[in-house]
Amino acid sequence: MSREILLGNEAIGLALVEEGCRVVTGYPGTPSSEILAGVNKYQKQFARPVYTEWSTNEKVALEVALAATWVGLRAAVTMKQVGLNVAADPLFSAAYTGVRGGFLVIAADDPGPHSSQTEQDSRLMALTAKVPVFDPATPAEAREMVGHALALSEKYGQPVMLRPTTRVCHGLQSMALDGHPAELAAPKARFKKDPPRWVSTPRFRYFLHQELNQKLLEIEKEFDASPLNFIVHEGASQKVGVIASGAAFHTTLQALDHLGVQLPVLKIGTPYPLPRTLVTNFISGLEAVIVIEEPDICIELQITAGTTTLHGRRDGTVPSAGELTPEIVFTFLKSVLEQTGIPTSPSPADGLLEELVQSLPLPIRRPRLCPGCGHRSAFFSMKRTFGPQAIYPGDIGCYTLGANLRAVDTLVDMGASVSMAHGFYHANRIVGDKRPVIATIGDSTFLHSGIVPLINAVHTGARFVLVVLDNHTTAMTGFQPTAANEFLMDGSAAAHQVSLPEIVRACGVRFVVETDPYEQQSFSEKLQEAHAFSQGDGGGVAVVIANRPCVLYDATPIREHPVPVVITEECDGCRYCVEAFECPALVLAPDRSRVNINYKICVDCGQCIDACFKGFIIPGI
Amino acid sequence: METKIILCGLGGQGVVFLTRLLANTAMADGHPVMVSETHGMSQRGGSVISHLRIMENPQTTGQNVPVLSAAPLIHHGTADLLFALEADEAVRSLPYLRPGGAAFVDSENGLRPELAGEISRLGFHVHCVSASQLAVELGSVSMANVILSGFAAAHPEMPLSFESLCETLKNTSTRGLERNLQALETGYKVGSLRSIPNLEM
Repeated sequence: MSREILLGNEAIGLALVEEGCRVVTGYPGTPSSEILAGVNKYQKQFARPVYTEWSTNEKVALEVALAATWVGLRAAVTMKQVGLNVAADPLFSAAYTGVRGGFLVIAADDPGPHSSQTEQDSRLMALTAKVPVFDPATPAEAREMVGHALALSEKYGQPVMLRPTTRVCHGLQSMALDGHPAELAAPKARFKKDPPRWVSTPRFRYFLHQELNQKLLEIEKEFDASPLNFIVHEGASQKVGVIASGAAFHTTLQALDHLGVQLPVLKIGTPYPLPRTLVTNFISGLEAVIVIEEPDICIELQITAGTTTLHGRRDGTVPSAGELTPEIVFTFLKSVLEQTGIPTSPSPADGLLEELVQSLPLPIRRPRLCPGCGHRSAFFSMKRTFGPQAIYPGDIGCYTLGANLRAVDTLVDMGASVSMAHGFYHANRIVGDKRPVIATIGDSTFLHSGIVPLINAVHTGARFVLVVLDNHTTAMTGFQPTAANEFLMDGSAAAHQVSLPEIVRACGVRFVVETDPYEQQSFSEKLQEAHAFSQGDGGGVAVVIANRPCVLYDATPIREHPVPVVITEECDGCRYCVEAFECPALVLAPDRSRVNINYKICVDCGQCIDACFKGFIIPGI
Repeated sequence: METKIILCGLGGQGVVFLTRLLANTAMADGHPVMVSETHGMSQRGGSVISHLRIMENPQTTGQNVPVLSAAPLIHHGTADLLFALEADEAVRSLPYLRPGGAAFVDSENGLRPELAGEISRLGFHVHCVSASQLAVELGSVSMANVILSGFAAAHPEMPLSFESLCETLKNTSTRGLERNLQALETGYKVGSLRSIPNLEM
């Protein structure tokens, strides 16, 4: 038996292979992105073939995997919590139709949030959709839960959710790898026609809903007896108890240890449907119970506390936003315990040091586009061409950081740059605002959700410029291939590479140019032409495809054509380049007298030459 | 005893690589480990922090891994060690260190002078080394993380030995093994000179 350190996401991927999933799909999104890579790694290692794909979006991914379960195969789909919004439509429907092969929907939540536009709780989405949820606390438990969840899914013929959070997905834990799982038999599964279920009309949906409700009652009873729900410190005779789930369970135990207090803690691994009998029995006899879960209230919402006082997010005991860090959990537990008269130890944190560090003018480390990033050149040219007054709808990806260059004004969700630009056009027309509207969207995001709004905009006569920032990959989440790439996620050749210009033309766009944003002068001219077209007689949406590979993904162009630069002695430290171009390699000298290049991180892209209008940044060695 | 370690720096400096180097080494020595990492947007130049727990070897203690050790994040004031690839990030993470804890920092000029009083009051052992400068001399700034780990291995506070770190690099490197070993050795040599009190300048 060997031990390995696995990332939570890899552990989930391993379990999907171990449990015999035949189809796993997904769309990348932090913190879920490494699950599918884990499936690929272990399907090769164990010679257990699994069909994997990065689908164009989460809705597509869920439907592809769903069909596999209707054939009778085990399948799973992975996404981040906001991806679940995109996949909500098929999820809600599939809860009624049910499945044949086990079906695991993996939606990763992001308390904090660290890398997301919301702190939404996928368990609440599952509750609304009536899909049972498993809520792992550690990478090892996530691995263990996959088998439980798939077995439950098959037993009841229902889709089931696994809901890890950032700390589980991006936790690493040493665990045992017990050799190769047995070879899988060739599946005998076949899709069997069953019209009342698979093409269920509203009348049948009513019966399916009743059936679903009945199954949920049975699953609740099953969860009452599940080993995934257990009590620690059961004998601790205290008036106060804790109900906790996910990573917050372990944070709670750590805080209680620092507080020097033993409280009975009920660990919930299956928050929906709530194991009601177990919870009721735990609560009865306690004066107060604190519910600790992330990122929102799923367990707390389902509890009927009776005469026991219920502390949680609703009464303000637990903060209603943000991650539950050790310090936060310690503080609110201490406060509740003190109110109840239970003595506690002081915090191990040193308040004086914390205060001093807080008071120091430490640099704010906002994320920035990498040195050499083609997006920076594109944004810089856009700003120079259209000025600060233009309206710049943006989108989701690395290039949201164009906000640092003030070339991104809005951020909503995947694909919204196109529909918002469209909306701005019509609203501006109504209010008489003539400012240009210049939207940006990445290649992967465009294929995910940009095509449908583009068709809408062209069809209804909107006039704006759309810049498709094509860096040849899904960079933010770790370089997953898109449908425009020549290979699939496992490295094999794609059957077809979609062409972005062809798609754009097929949407009805009559102005399409593809150009390299590194050629700043010509890029700017193309932007002007695009704008002139969009505003001219018979104009409409004009699309400029900014074609430059991500420097981290493909450094070949820079390696083949390096343009090293120096800053001349004349530099007067005006800071224009530092602020307007915002390359991490351009650094203001400590005495602010000039700007220097940090050659440790400079990649010799030479793009900053155009960022000094005084001509002090020049090619050099 | 469990060893709690905070590792910090800026996105792109290799905090994740350093974390995994230490975690894999501890595991090879028979210790269960638990780590929490930063991925996603912060990796684009933002502050990056890892929390690493190295637990007792269950074969030595005869006990299972305590459930306590699975908390993803370390509480302020309880970390035994701090590894920082940048001086201001070291300062930002300093509150994690317990009284008497040790910090290994990539810095030419030590930590901010305002902190001198607190560092002495709390008995922190702060060990600075110009790891990125040494890395540039070796050919790539990206090796600063490995240099820092070698540097730390020469200090008594570090639970992982130079030899085990070497082994891990040999077992896990897919490329650049020679350079990494050289970086580890460079850091270790500088650390060995410094950790002998008589030779301290």
